[in-house]
Amino acid sequence: MENLGIEGKLLLAQIINFVLFFILVKQFIVKPFTAFLNQERKNEEEKNRMLEKLKKSEEAGMEAEKKMKEKMKKEFDTLFVQAKKEAQDMRADLMKQAEADALEIKAKNSKLMEEEKNLLYREVKDKIIKTSLMIVESTLKESLDESARKKITGTIIKNYEGKVNFN
Amino acid sequence: MKINPKLKKDLKSFLLNNIQKEQNRALVISADCLNLDQKKILQQKFSDLDWKEAIYETDKSVIAGIIIKVGSKIIDLSLTGLLSKLSNTLYEID
Repeated sequence: MENLGIEGKLLLAQIINFVLFFILVKQFIVKPFTAFLNQERKNEEEKNRMLEKLKKSEEAGMEAEKKMKEKMKKEFDTLFVQAKKEAQDMRADLMKQAEADALEIKAKNSKLMEEEKNLLYREVKDKIIKTSLMIVESTLKESLDESARKKITGTIIKNYEGKVNFN
Repeated sequence: MKINPKLKKDLKSFLLNNIQKEQNRALVISADCLNLDQKKILQQKFSDLDWKEAIYETDKSVIAGIIIKVGSKIIDLSLTGLLSKLSNTLYEID
C-alpha cells in the first residue's frame, strides 16, 4: 500500500474523519433538512387540501347561491305573474264597478234632467197660463164699457138654464 | 167640561136661525147695478134656490156676469169665474 502511495494511518484517519463527518452531517444537517422538507411538503399538501376544500366550499356556495337565485327568480316570476293576474282582476273589477257607477250616475242624471224638464215645463206652463189669463182679464176690463158689461150680464142671466151658455 | 143643556139648546136654535136666515137671503154680486127686469128674471131663473130676500152688490173684479151666494151655495156666472174655470182646464191638460 505504501508503494501505491497510500498511507494506512492516514487512510484510516480519513475514513474515520469521513464517517464522523457523515454521521455529523446526517445527524445535524440532513435529518433536520429532511424533516424541514417533509414538514414543508406536508404544509403544502395541507395548504392544497385546504385550498381544494375552500374551492369546493366556494363552488358549493356559488352553486347554492345560484340555486337560491334561480329559486328566487322562480318565486319572483310566480309572484309577478300572480300579482299581474291580481292586478288584472282588480282592474277588471274596478272597470266593472266604474261602468256600473257611470250607468247609475247616468240614470240618476237622466231622471234628474227629466224631473227638471217636467218642473220647467210646469213652471213655463204656469207662467203662460197666468200671463194669458192676466192679459185676457186686463183686456176685458179695459175693452168692456158699462153697456157692454150690462149686455153680457143680461145675456148670461137670460140664457142661464142650469148651465151657462155664452153663444 | 159639561155644557149647560139650556145654553146648548139656545145656541143650537140661534145657529139654526142664522143658517135659516142665510138660506133665505141671497147675495147677488155683479160688476154694475142690475135693472128691475134682470132682477125679476133672476128671481124666476133661480126659484129653486128658494130665497126670500136678495142683497145686490157691485164689484168691478167680476168684469161681467153675476155671482149668487145663498147659504153655502155659490153660483158663479161671472167672466172672472169663467176665466178661473178656463185656467183650471188648462192646468189639467198635459
